[in-house]
Amino acid sequence: MKEKHDYERARRYGMVIDLDKCTGCGACMVGCYMENNVPFKPDETNKLDSINWIRVYKLNNGKPYPETEICYLPMPCMQCDGVDLHGHSPCVSVCPAVATDYDDDTGIVSQIYTRCFGCRYCMAACPYHARKFNWWDPVWPADMKKALSPDVSPRMRGVVEKCSFCFHRYQLARNKAYFENRQNEPLGEDDYQTACAQACPTGTITFGDLNNKAHAVHQLKTSPNAFRLLERLGTNPKVYYLTAKNWVRRQGDNYLTDEEPGKLKQKR
Amino acid sequence: MKINRRNFLTYTTAAALGGAAGTLLTPVPWKLMDDAAIWTQNWPWTPVPEAGPVSYKPSICTLCPGGCGIYVRFSGNRPVKIEGMKEHPVNKGALCPMGLSGLQYLYGPDRVRSPLKREGKRGEGKWKKITWDEALAAVTEKLASLRKLEEPQSVACITGMEGGTLPSLIGRFLTVYGSPNLMRQATAQDAGAQAVFLTQGKQGTPGFDIENADFILSFGSGMLDGWGAPGRMSRLFGARNTAQRFIQIEPRLSDTAASANRWIGINPGTEGALALGLAHIIVKESLYNKHFVETFTFGFNDWNDEAGVAHTGFKALLEGYGPENVSRITGIQEALIKSLAREFAGSSRPIAINGRGKGALPGGMNETLAVHALNALMGNINKTGGLYVIPELTYAKWPDLGMDGIASRGMRQPRCDGAGGDLFPNSRFLLNRVPTLINTTKDGSPVEALLVVDANPMYTLPDTAATRKAFERIPFIVSFSSYMDETASYADYILPDHSPLERYQDVPAPAGMSHQVISLAVPVIKPLYDTRHTGDAFIHMAKALGGFIEEAFPWNGYEAFLEDTLQGHWRILKKKGVVEIIETPAASDRFTFNTASAKYEFYPTARAGTGKRDSDVLPAYAPAILDGDEKTFNLILIPCDSIRMAGDHMASSPFMTKTVDDTVLKKQMTLVEINPATALKLNLEEGGKALLKTPKGKASVLIHLYEGIMPGLIAMPRGLGHTAYSEYLANKGTNINELMGPIEDPASGLDMAWGIRAQLFRV
Amino acid sequence: MNGMPLIPAGVNRCSKRRFAFWMAAVTAVLVWGVYAMFLIWYKGLNQTRMNDAYGFALWIWADLSVIALGGGAFFSGFLTYIVGKDKLANIINFAVIIGFICYSSALLILTIDIGQPLRGWFIFWHANVHSMLTEVAFCLSCYFAVLTIEFIPLILENPRLAKKPFLNHLTHNMHGVMPIFAATGVFLSFFHQGSLGGVAGVLYGRPFAYREHVFIWPWTFFLFTWSAAACGPCFTILGIWLTEKITRKKLVKQDVIRLLAKISGWMIITYIIAKTADTLYWAFVTAPSRGFTLMDFYSSPTYNIGLLFIEIVLCGFVPGLILITRKGRENAFLLMSAVILAVMGVSLNRWVMVLQVMAVPLFSFDDWFTYMPSWQEVATTILPVAYGLIVISLAYRYLPVFPQEQELNPID
Ligand SMILES: Nc1nc2c(c(=O)[nH]1)N[C@H]1C(S)=C(S)[C@@H](COP(=O)(O)OP(=O)(O)OC[C@H]3O[C@@H](n4cnc5c(=O)[nH]c(N)nc54)[C@H](O)[C@@H]3O)O[C@H]1N2
Ligand SMILES: Nc1nc2c(c(=O)[nH]1)N[C@H]1C(S)=C(S)[C@@H](COP(=O)(O)OP(=O)(O)OC[C@H]3O[C@@H](n4cnc5c(=O)[nH]c(N)nc54)[C@H](O)[C@@H]3O)O[C@H]1N2
Ligand code: SF4
Ligand code: SF4
Ligand code: SF4
Ligand code: SF4
Ligand code: SF4
Ligand SMILES: [Mo]
Repeated sequence: MKEKHDYERARRYGMVIDLDKCTGCGACMVGCYMENNVPFKPDETNKLDSINWIRVYKLNNGKPYPETEICYLPMPCMQCDGVDLHGHSPCVSVCPAVATDYDDDTGIVSQIYTRCFGCRYCMAACPYHARKFNWWDPVWPADMKKALSPDVSPRMRGVVEKCSFCFHRYQLARNKAYFENRQNEPLGEDDYQTACAQACPTGTITFGDLNNKAHAVHQLKTSPNAFRLLERLGTNPKVYYLTAKNWVRRQGDNYLTDEEPGKLKQKR
Repeated sequence: MKINRRNFLTYTTAAALGGAAGTLLTPVPWKLMDDAAIWTQNWPWTPVPEAGPVSYKPSICTLCPGGCGIYVRFSGNRPVKIEGMKEHPVNKGALCPMGLSGLQYLYGPDRVRSPLKREGKRGEGKWKKITWDEALAAVTEKLASLRKLEEPQSVACITGMEGGTLPSLIGRFLTVYGSPNLMRQATAQDAGAQAVFLTQGKQGTPGFDIENADFILSFGSGMLDGWGAPGRMSRLFGARNTAQRFIQIEPRLSDTAASANRWIGINPGTEGALALGLAHIIVKESLYNKHFVETFTFGFNDWNDEAGVAHTGFKALLEGYGPENVSRITGIQEALIKSLAREFAGSSRPIAINGRGKGALPGGMNETLAVHALNALMGNINKTGGLYVIPELTYAKWPDLGMDGIASRGMRQPRCDGAGGDLFPNSRFLLNRVPTLINTTKDGSPVEALLVVDANPMYTLPDTAATRKAFERIPFIVSFSSYMDETASYADYILPDHSPLERYQDVPAPAGMSHQVISLAVPVIKPLYDTRHTGDAFIHMAKALGGFIEEAFPWNGYEAFLEDTLQGHWRILKKKGVVEIIETPAASDRFTFNTASAKYEFYPTARAGTGKRDSDVLPAYAPAILDGDEKTFNLILIPCDSIRMAGDHMASSPFMTKTVDDTVLKKQMTLVEINPATALKLNLEEGGKALLKTPKGKASVLIHLYEGIMPGLIAMPRGLGHTAYSEYLANKGTNINELMGPIEDPASGLDMAWGIRAQLFRV
Repeated sequence: MNGMPLIPAGVNRCSKRRFAFWMAAVTAVLVWGVYAMFLIWYKGLNQTRMNDAYGFALWIWADLSVIALGGGAFFSGFLTYIVGKDKLANIINFAVIIGFICYSSALLILTIDIGQPLRGWFIFWHANVHSMLTEVAFCLSCYFAVLTIEFIPLILENPRLAKKPFLNHLTHNMHGVMPIFAATGVFLSFFHQGSLGGVAGVLYGRPFAYREHVFIWPWTFFLFTWSAAACGPCFTILGIWLTEKITRKKLVKQDVIRLLAKISGWMIITYIIAKTADTLYWAFVTAPSRGFTLMDFYSSPTYNIGLLFIEIVLCGFVPGLILITRKGRENAFLLMSAVILAVMGVSLNRWVMVLQVMAVPLFSFDDWFTYMPSWQEVATTILPVAYGLIVISLAYRYLPVFPQEQELNPID
């Protein structure tokens, strides 16, 4: 039996992404590819078979020139806590082979490539399209295999992969803490950072333990400008977004015409 | 029981079924099932990266002139990742997608792995591997023979980035060899440098103290699309405080415009007029810095020269740029022009910046001068939050050159691009003019041998067809490229350089920086292939040519040369990787100018000369005459940039291309952006196929409807349409240079093209 | 023993040549499908046109459909052995064969549809009890075993096999325990039909599919079982009708068919009323609570509101009403129209619950997702049809499938 996850006390790693800072540069995507041995093909223009653990979407306000505005929205796996915050995230609860699981220590939704048998039920379940299938065997041309990181195993065809919140970095940080005899202290913000947060040149992405008051995300997520994607589905994402633009916020979820983003919280 | 055909079948079937059922009771099938699954988990073709101790080596990214500090992460002796260096003054940890994917250049399939000699026809792609001795001997022999013919000036060399000592080393080589024809493709930075020279009399480049400005007015500079030092710019944007205002003026909602506090659409190519229009309001409403203008500038008011001839000043020029007129030219409402001028002038540290997009194109001189004039009106010259001049680095003295008659005569020949001549005395090189000059030479080519270092002119020069025609006429082309780019694949010899992470390179202040920062890129890994530093190659050739040429290169290799050159800096650079020189000019020096008037010249006297009228000298606005007639070509095509794509220096890595949206590139085709209203008139639909025609060429494209572009314009991304490199980049979309031609700025000879007339047909 | 006829006594079968010709044609189609299947196993799922948005597509639809249509087996079994509708014993063999074909096809399709077929058994070994797919896998496999057991006695009734005393005894004993297996089958079927409905219904991230729960099961759990029980028999009737057309013989008495049709009719009517209630609740309560209006789900040219009308009215109420009226059942045209509509209706329901779920955009900045199967997907989907024709042909030729055949077609 799994122990019950103590939602308030345990670590719950999460992100706060400030959309008003994001320039759409794509560094987070490339940082993630390099860190996580993400494969690439000669043609990646079909975004529906292109493996991206974080994808930067381009939103626009739909107004004509020159009132047009655009906003970039980086979307990693939301690491959903699931309905009632029990870790039954949409994907974890459906995987028939427990190839993806909710880690009660960190709130991170894992993916075990060697366990996954490629039924893709988790992809059907994830409303964020965070999960990507290996339709092909990955190929690293020329000497490019030499740039593969040993911290993350390359995937084979026929399995699903997704953003892991760079879980290997968490493990490395824990190991380091252990060797430095700090295993009983909570990890510092700098001990464990994701590759995308580190790569983002504008500081758009803040990462940390949402339950740790010493981490910036703890405070940031309470901003009146904070919201989560498709929150109304009850997925309880651990990725928060900030924006002062109402049109952006509106596109982050679905609303009936008479509903206003931000004013629905008490309803659910 | 008799065994016959029928019951034989029956019994074997029964035996087989029984056997199968029996086997199921043994561990065999279960073990096999397990083994099969284990096999899929360890497929031999799925790599298992070797683990090793983790270490980090500091260096500098030299993939673009941005000069970002990096740490290369190693697993054992393998570099596995590049991360930003927090303590580097330029980028403070920020990197762009190109720098982050730097290892793909190191290990990629585009690398030229040994010296190559062309076998088949030019560009056919048939090569013979040769040794370095053979390669260097072949090039040296050609150079020696041209000297023997007393035609050293027929050797030309195109280099890429100007920064660093390698171009100086090559320049020294050419000089002592006897050719003045060292060239580079000019950028907005060159236009800026010329403006600095014309107004302040200084040799150097403009630096913008954006960090400390409180109002940033950008005339189309793609501050977040690759302008200046991209690492620095992204970092600055993220660290921007709420008090800073950032206004972007351009005809298309670029990513920069999207991130600005305000985006103002403007008719393309009319930025110069807007700058003058803003100046008009500022002067008319007396909002300018009177102390500065009265004390330290020249040519603001009308003036009389020594001969007593009356001249118009800048103020008088502005009279023609009232809001009504400027509104008509730029398409910006009068009220907005006025309020923008007031806001600019009302800020304490406003700064005006130009250089469209990444700054890849120089643009017109008058436009640059007009923008600089806005800064001068506010007295924001050489002070916090303003426009600085970064002087050229004065490196250590090298031994004097001894030159023979052939070399001296060669050096006195006019340059093959006309720069520095009577027509364009203030320009140092005009590569954009070379293809036309070669193509219009009656017989032969003024260039007999071309050395291409760190450049890819066959892709980056406007009017690809004309460039190719010109290159066909050059009898001997050598590329020193590390990668199989378009020019390398058209060369006769390739003498591949090490790739960036394998070599030394000094990196001076990147474009736009407000102070001098010298960094040193160091080799973090031994060269993977049979490559050689281009500096070493040139030193080797000099030694082989012998005599005084050899004597001009007393160094035994590039590293020794670099050490000798950087002198005092070398020790610090080797230790710290970076030298930061922040020289805040003393208040008294701040406004010393080296112009004829010893003042900041609104009226650049260096441009004056016989036959020049005041209106030619002052930065008046004159619309660029675009190729093509307006009736047939009823649209205007402009290039657009994105930080996710490399436009020039280097090509995009596979990972960069992977980040490109499917509204930019789809399968192998470029999408062009067009306003839905314009598209409706032309009966074009989202994703539809169309034929794009300009006076220079045509291309098949796909349509992307984009509200953020001015009606009547089409935007095409730069950086696609490579024909060389590997399948990860080649044959994807269209190279905009095939569709655009250069437009010579009458004032400088620089390419002032910002677009071209075009037509779009649904197909 | 040699010389014992292969063909059951007292019935007429077509010539060997003709049969061989027919089998060759169907086998060709089968081989095409098998070729596609091997391509997919060898090269991987890139042979399909599925993508990261359309992770479930044609195959999962085919799977759900054949299982729904194969529902005739469990429901007929339930009626025959448990409710005691003895008349239906006359079609139970055929229903079992159809079920066997459907379920074996479903299992085959599943092994093609997964990215790592050699790890397919992880679903049993590393089972996640929370997953509807786990439930599906277990029930499906068990029920397939039950169907096989139900099929065996019929095979053993082949005259040549029946001659062997051992086999004869076995058949006899198996017949004796058949009600137990039938009951097991019904139980298993009830669950896996339901869990297939649960597959989509539990997707709370997909408001188009998501349904409110009763205990741990979403409404679709019950609706799927119900609709399979309702429409499966129609597919059995359709199969019988087609076999009769092809063999140009009457094989089952009309009263048997009508009884089955009547039961089916009442099942359809009750099902479609429940389905309507479910749709209304979903459209007016569930969806709006997540910010969607009904029309948001039907705003694409392909997926328009007409689909809902077709599924509920045209392929639901219409066949239901026809089948519950005596006149409807007695008019051959109306009867068969209703049967076909019902079969279409349940297939459409499965289509909507698989493909439309994938197509609906969840973000306002996303567009509808589109998908067009590759030939490999089509071929492997047709493969079970060819396989089914072969099994039915062989069974019909060599086994006493229709107890009433002799009586209806006396050989003079
Ligand atoms: N990642 C990366 N970074 C780089 C480089 C690289 O290759 N990769 N290259 C480096 C180099 S070599 C350079 S020179 C620098 C600097 O490079 P910049 O000077 O900043 O670039 P351009 O390519 O000239 O600009 C095209 C832009 O101008 C806009 N534009 C076009 N026409 C008009 C017009 O009429 N009016 C206005 N206002 N705008 C117009 C378009 O919208 C587009 O955004 O970048 C450097 N940075
Ligand atoms: N399409 C397009 N054309 C442009 C521009 C654009 O943005 N897009 N920008 C314009 C601008 S701003 C500029 S500055 C020019 C730039 O024009 P070029 O100076 O021609 O710049 P690149 O295309 O970057 O060419 C650099 C080439 O050098 C090779 N190279 C890279 N590293 C090394 C090295 O270490 N050693 C050697 N020997 N070779 C190396 C690479 O193969 C690369 O193709 O292009 C201009 N033209
Ligand atoms: S975003 Fe998708 S993949 Fe990630 S936890 Fe949520 S449902 Fe699972
Ligand atoms: S595809 Fe893999 S991870 Fe996803 S549900 Fe199936 S087995 Fe689990
Ligand atoms: S957290 Fe790590 S795995 Fe997830 S998107 Fe960022 S870099 Fe990729
Ligand atoms: S790296 Fe940062 S600024 Fe760039 S796209 Fe990603 S989140 Fe946005
Ligand atoms: S901006 Fe230029 S120097 Fe900096 S990381 Fe990018 S490519 Fe390298
Ligand atoms: Mo450039």
